[in-house]
Amino acid sequence: MQRVGVIGTGAIAAVHLDGWRRMPGIELIGYYDVRADAAERAAQRYGGQAFATLADLFAAVDVVDICTPGVAHKENVLAAAAAGKAIICEKPLARHLADAIEMVETCERAGAPLFPAQVVRFFPMYARVKERIDAGAIGKPAVYRSARNGSFPRPGRDFSAPHYADFNLSGGVVLDVAVHDIDFARWCCGEVERVFARGLTFAGKEFKDHALIILRFASGAVGHIEVSWAHPRTTFRTRIEVAGDGGLVEWDSIDRPPLVYELYDDEHGFRRIGSSPTANEDEPYYAELAHFIDVLEGRAEARVTARDGLEAVRVALAAIESMRTGKVIAMNEFGG
Amino acid sequence: MTNQLVRIGFLGIAHMHSVSYAHNLLAMPGVEVVGVWDRTDASAAEWSGRLGVARFASADELLAAGLDAVVVCSENVYHRPLVEQAAGRVKAILCEKPIATTVADAQAMIDRCAATNTRLQIAFPVRFAPSVVELKRQLDAGLLGEIYTVNCTNHGSMPGGWFIDPDLAGGGAVLDHTVHVIDVLRWFWGAEVTEVYAEVGDSLLHPGLGIDDAGLLSFTLSNGVYGTLDTSWSRPPSYTIWGDVKLEILGEHGVVYADTLHQYVTVASNAAGKTQWAGYGSDMDRGLMADFVEMVRTGRAPSITGEDGLRAMQVALAAYQSAKTGQPVKLSNL
Repeated sequence: MQRVGVIGTGAIAAVHLDGWRRMPGIELIGYYDVRADAAERAAQRYGGQAFATLADLFAAVDVVDICTPGVAHKENVLAAAAAGKAIICEKPLARHLADAIEMVETCERAGAPLFPAQVVRFFPMYARVKERIDAGAIGKPAVYRSARNGSFPRPGRDFSAPHYADFNLSGGVVLDVAVHDIDFARWCCGEVERVFARGLTFAGKEFKDHALIILRFASGAVGHIEVSWAHPRTTFRTRIEVAGDGGLVEWDSIDRPPLVYELYDDEHGFRRIGSSPTANEDEPYYAELAHFIDVLEGRAEARVTARDGLEAVRVALAAIESMRTGKVIAMNEFGG
Repeated sequence: MTNQLVRIGFLGIAHMHSVSYAHNLLAMPGVEVVGVWDRTDASAAEWSGRLGVARFASADELLAAGLDAVVVCSENVYHRPLVEQAAGRVKAILCEKPIATTVADAQAMIDRCAATNTRLQIAFPVRFAPSVVELKRQLDAGLLGEIYTVNCTNHGSMPGGWFIDPDLAGGGAVLDHTVHVIDVLRWFWGAEVTEVYAEVGDSLLHPGLGIDDAGLLSFTLSNGVYGTLDTSWSRPPSYTIWGDVKLEILGEHGVVYADTLHQYVTVASNAAGKTQWAGYGSDMDRGLMADFVEMVRTGRAPSITGEDGLRAMQVALAAYQSAKTGQPVKLSNL
């Protein structure tokens, strides 16, 4: 039995909480949020209690799940490590490289497990891509391409849009979104040697961000990542392909889902609805959190480590640096 | 209750689904796969080594090992003797589809299990595919309104081995692939098939095969829905995937195109010499096994009964009869 406490009760916390509350062997103890009313609402909705201080929460739990905005990860991780808790931390691990390094090193010294929530490794289609690569189906990976394109996050909401639009807080689409693809690319192709990127991050366009990132891996492989917060509202599309010297594996979210409903009525007109359902235990966030518990309890080897979370942040920040300076960034020289 | 150990044995592993069933049971907490027996020693030895499950010299010895339940995955014609042998010595039996190859065999299995208070479940994993579960929920909620018709396929690849031996399989593509879809439709609507017409092809796709490898069924259900089903082993070795389970359901408010297993990454592999689809969907066999284990543990009734297996099999048998006579067959006439 693990007693879980959640810090930060915004959008991603709701996804985690849907997982925690139906996971066997988990007791959902409560919440801390700098907005006390938000913690109260979470307690009412998901059960457990709202804690007035971090110390109160730490005293009652074994596992701390940090779901705050990235800029607040550091203070919460350091406090949880000092309290000797097992820590799950949402991506990006930190807003700044020095923070991420301090977090990882502090947790290592304190012996506090730190699980970075790089959830793409737990999406079943991405996991299958990696499994096929490991099985040798495509030979040695050579050209990696992925995309994660949507619209600006939740414009119009009082909190989200100003937060994501403030580069100093969010790091823009590259730190917030490309960190997913960078982590997955590293999982498939190994360490990144250099980065070149172009994008809209510094173009001064309100509620628009986008980047095209080119990677060179130490293995010799090359990679291309597109991320967007500039695509039309309501759209979200992801793609992945990896070509090797013996084949190719690919997936595109635009592929037909198993269920396509085409309906007409006078009220709504024509509707085409796609659905790709999955068993509860395969839902990616549930699978990710359940995996961290399995690792904590000695039933599994970690699929993703704190060092992976740190390196994904470092490559993302290098891509931002490349956009800012127009230069190629060599990873062995890049220190934030 | 939830942690109570469930001891399960495998009686017959000729059907390849036995491997997936065993993998899922082995991964399940509180389940012990006690042993395996198969009439073919070499198959049992290979299966036993691959899965790390003890091999027993006879079905009787395995049944004497203190089992709660058995999984019967033998060749189709041996379902009856193995189920009859196990009935009364275990609490529950999971029998691979089709339940049997004749109505008399299926009825005898159902009767023997009833007489010995043994719960008999038939393995129809498609009911546990998440897309099929969602589709049933939407249909129950009335999304399509009145249902008019359903156009279905359960294509496959020619499986070879005992599947193409009429003495062991009892039938080819029509028996193999009618029962999954018919079971799902019966489950969706609580309706029975009342009439079947079929065009069956013997050795049509695979000259010299010696058994039916193509089948097109036209059927009517007791709720008035009419439909068709293609059961053909028409996916060649060069195709991307072994087969499919597709249901296109048309109703008064619209249509649903269900390609129930279509969650694939595409893999072109020079080593494989072709492009293949690798599935990433949730494993429906895991759902089937979890449901069966829960049934064994709790003592509740099976979610898919012997009667369900019999009804689905009867539709396949009616299709063969229709192909023989060239006329539609009323199910009450069987």
